[in-house]
Amino acid sequence: MHSLGCRLRRMNELSRAQIRDLMAQVLKNQDKELPADDAAQLREIGFRSLDFSELALRVEDETGEELNFDAPGLRRIATVGDVLDFLVELQHQ
Amino acid sequence: MSDPADTQLVPPSTVVLVSGGSRGLGLAIVTDLLDAGVKVAAFARTITPELEKLAADHPDRVHVGSVDVTDLRAAQSFVREVEQHLGPIDGIVNNAAMGQDSLHAHTATDDIARIIETNLTAPLQLTRLVIRRMLGKGLRGRIVNITSICGQRGFPGLVAYSATKGGMDAATRSLARELGGRMLVNSVAPGFFASEMSAVLGPTQLDQIVRRTPTGHLTEPVEVTPVVRMLLREHTNINGQVIVVDGAASI
Repeated sequence: MHSLGCRLRRMNELSRAQIRDLMAQVLKNQDKELPADDAAQLREIGFRSLDFSELALRVEDETGEELNFDAPGLRRIATVGDVLDFLVELQHQ
Repeated sequence: MSDPADTQLVPPSTVVLVSGGSRGLGLAIVTDLLDAGVKVAAFARTITPELEKLAADHPDRVHVGSVDVTDLRAAQSFVREVEQHLGPIDGIVNNAAMGQDSLHAHTATDDIARIIETNLTAPLQLTRLVIRRMLGKGLRGRIVNITSICGQRGFPGLVAYSATKGGMDAATRSLARELGGRMLVNSVAPGFFASEMSAVLGPTQLDQIVRRTPTGHLTEPVEVTPVVRMLLREHTNINGQVIVVDGAASI
């Protein structure tokens, strides 16, 4: 693992790429597309706070672990990359 | 049992118990009541230097203690200490509360339980404790519950908190009926403060509230303390009411 430079993940943890796939599904259900660029603005894509909730709950479904968090962290999220970072980080808590 | 109306007036409170009196609105209430010549018993989880100083400045009129409002036993012994030091309690301000800032779907169930315990169960138990002592001594008195505009209007991120504040407003009405005029029971429901628990709303939400407020500013503790003092001290026939102090933001 170390030789590959990967971070050791817990068994039930989703990777950043897996979360990205789930995020694309959430958007696809609303006929929206997830840009490949992590810097893309959520406001422009139309990914709103309840979409974030939906994504977090989908991650929960996959991992079987509840993800609880306060709202101030959410308010700082502006880009696709922020969403992925937040959820990757949240799984470590 | 249906009693005839009790026509005797409820006198102003002379010894007032304030929960969560160490900072913010609680500390402002303690300070204001002391200025009005009232004896004050204040407790909080942590006693701040500000509260410590008030106690040192008015040793005969202030009693402070480090008590977690959810610790009923500790609250009980605090009440006994207060009675020995200041005399029987004839007024209570239920002010201690914890805030919330999380969407309901993502709030841990333990956190929901803790909010309800601190903001609803604990003040109901403290009120029960104090009114038992007051009724037992044949005292008349005043009860003021500090609630919130959240008890009447909706705000995201404050679901459990709102439930507790609406719960206390409802308890206020029923308690006013139940105490049959021996005690005046009211709620004071402030709008959002710029400080303290209003950190729960983001700057954008606070800006939006200010814009919608006819008086053009968020509520300050000093704008709430005179209302609390009036309910504790003045001869009014206000009973079982929720008085909103929010500059008409919610109107």
